Amino acid sequence: MSTTMNDQQGSHGGVQVRSASAIGKSSIEISELDFYYGTHKALKQINLNLPDKQVTGMIGPSGCGKSTLLRVLNRMYDLYPGQKAVGKVMMDGQNIIDPGVDLNALRARIGMVFQKPTPFPMTLYDNIAFGVRLHEKLSKAEMDERVEWSLTRAALWGEVKDRLNTSAMGLSGGQQQRLCIARTIAVRPEVILLDEPTSALDPISTLKVEELIDELKHDFTIAIVTHNMQQAARCADQVAFFYIGEMVEVGPAEQIFTAPKEKRTQEYVTGRFG
Amino acid sequence: MSATTYSSIPGAAKNETVAQRLSNRRRRSDTIVKYLCILATLIGLVMLASILFTLLVKGVGGLSLSVFTTMTKPPGSGGGLLNAILGTLIQTVIGTAVGTPIGLMVGTYLAEYGQGSKIADIVRFVSDILLSAPSILIGLFVYQFLVEPVGGFSGIAGSLALAIIVIPIVVRTTEDMLHLIPATLREAAIGLGAPKWKMITLICYRSAKEGIVTGVLLAIARIAGETAPLLFTSLGNSSALGGMGSPMASLPVAIYQYAGSAFEDWVQLAWVGALLITVGVLTINILARFALRGKR
Repeated sequence: MSTTMNDQQGSHGGVQVRSASAIGKSSIEISELDFYYGTHKALKQINLNLPDKQVTGMIGPSGCGKSTLLRVLNRMYDLYPGQKAVGKVMMDGQNIIDPGVDLNALRARIGMVFQKPTPFPMTLYDNIAFGVRLHEKLSKAEMDERVEWSLTRAALWGEVKDRLNTSAMGLSGGQQQRLCIARTIAVRPEVILLDEPTSALDPISTLKVEELIDELKHDFTIAIVTHNMQQAARCADQVAFFYIGEMVEVGPAEQIFTAPKEKRTQEYVTGRFG
Repeated sequence: MSATTYSSIPGAAKNETVAQRLSNRRRRSDTIVKYLCILATLIGLVMLASILFTLLVKGVGGLSLSVFTTMTKPPGSGGGLLNAILGTLIQTVIGTAVGTPIGLMVGTYLAEYGQGSKIADIVRFVSDILLSAPSILIGLFVYQFLVEPVGGFSGIAGSLALAIIVIPIVVRTTEDMLHLIPATLREAAIGLGAPKWKMITLICYRSAKEGIVTGVLLAIARIAGETAPLLFTSLGNSSALGGMGSPMASLPVAIYQYAGSAFEDWVQLAWVGALLITVGVLTINILARFALRGKR
């Protein structure tokens, strides 16, 4: 019921201190994952856990495979013939890259927000309701409540509550991106994948989305791909550094940025290449 | 800043007059191209305007209420075009209603399901050939397969011929419009857990709506004025509407038959018919434009 979820929001306020020891149970466990675009091997033997209700930042130069990894997690690559994943991506005891997995149900559990805002050409309300209707039968009142809840969680409710029945195409870029986040959380996934969610936004919108991520991690496990080192440092609990299809290093954000073990990581985070 | 000036670059036009001459020449050719374009536009506009003007002058004179309320009568007895108007409406509506869903589904197959498949390549090729096939061939085809075996011309045959013309137009616009939708929009729908058919019907069609509707309107405008495919199928009917199972009247065929006749009042009816078709197609286009703009 959406009412119970309504109760969860509210009091979790500002920025909390990241602690290296907070990493506990994993939401998704990736092991020995290879990925192929045709014959090109884009990911090599990836081992990575996404800790439950924490933010995992994925950094690395363009083409290193971080976005590819996100697209494995919700099986987006299935849309394109010739792309193939081999290995284990375990979620609740199930390997989600097995052929038999119900993809629609999986994608309801693992939501995704893209680099560019992708509002659907319909009203704000219907943008949110679209995903919900795919998986649940709600009454009008329940749907109203769910729409308000998800827009509130995405810090957009106050700005749009009077124009829910206008086209989503009329929003600003930053608002559109928060709408896409609201649309994703409206389905109530367990994991949210963010693929460079602020690279098309201005600094103020970026700040709002980052604050939002901080807020959302109380309820969701989050993986964020970003080219912005400061953003990774601000948002992530754990950071993984990727380089040409390999995961070079993973660790608590503080350690990756202040005392990386690998030379390549150090060179990247200090801006010497990439 | 370095102290380099253009005149110190080897090979640069040091000499004012050379630069000036080049500049003049560019300006001159720019002007010539501009006026050639304007001239071409004027030629097109003048032709269009003179067609419309002739239609108005010759057509308006024959307009009267009886044109819309009475069937065509034998020459000299003052009939109207009601049968031809109704016949065109019926055959155009049925042709569009039959051809549009088929064209829409074929276009969807090509854009969404058939990527890289041999069958899709063949279907696309055949559809494009059909698109540019002379419409009289389509009339002959329906004549061969429907009119002759059944033993008579009919409104059904005419509607079918028009539907066959509609299909490739809608296929092409549907496929083109669906291709314009960014992959990220599709992925966003799939990413929420939408099955592919819901992504197509709820998101893609909605995004491509304007383009697809425009394609359907183009198709309507095209078949409303088609004559050749109807000559072999619904034949025309210069005394009554006719029916789905018998020769049916239509405006283009009426124009074709009456304009060449020896009777002055029939020639006048042909002009009126031509004016009606033109105004009708124009109105559909304008209304649709406004309707679509309002939605945005």
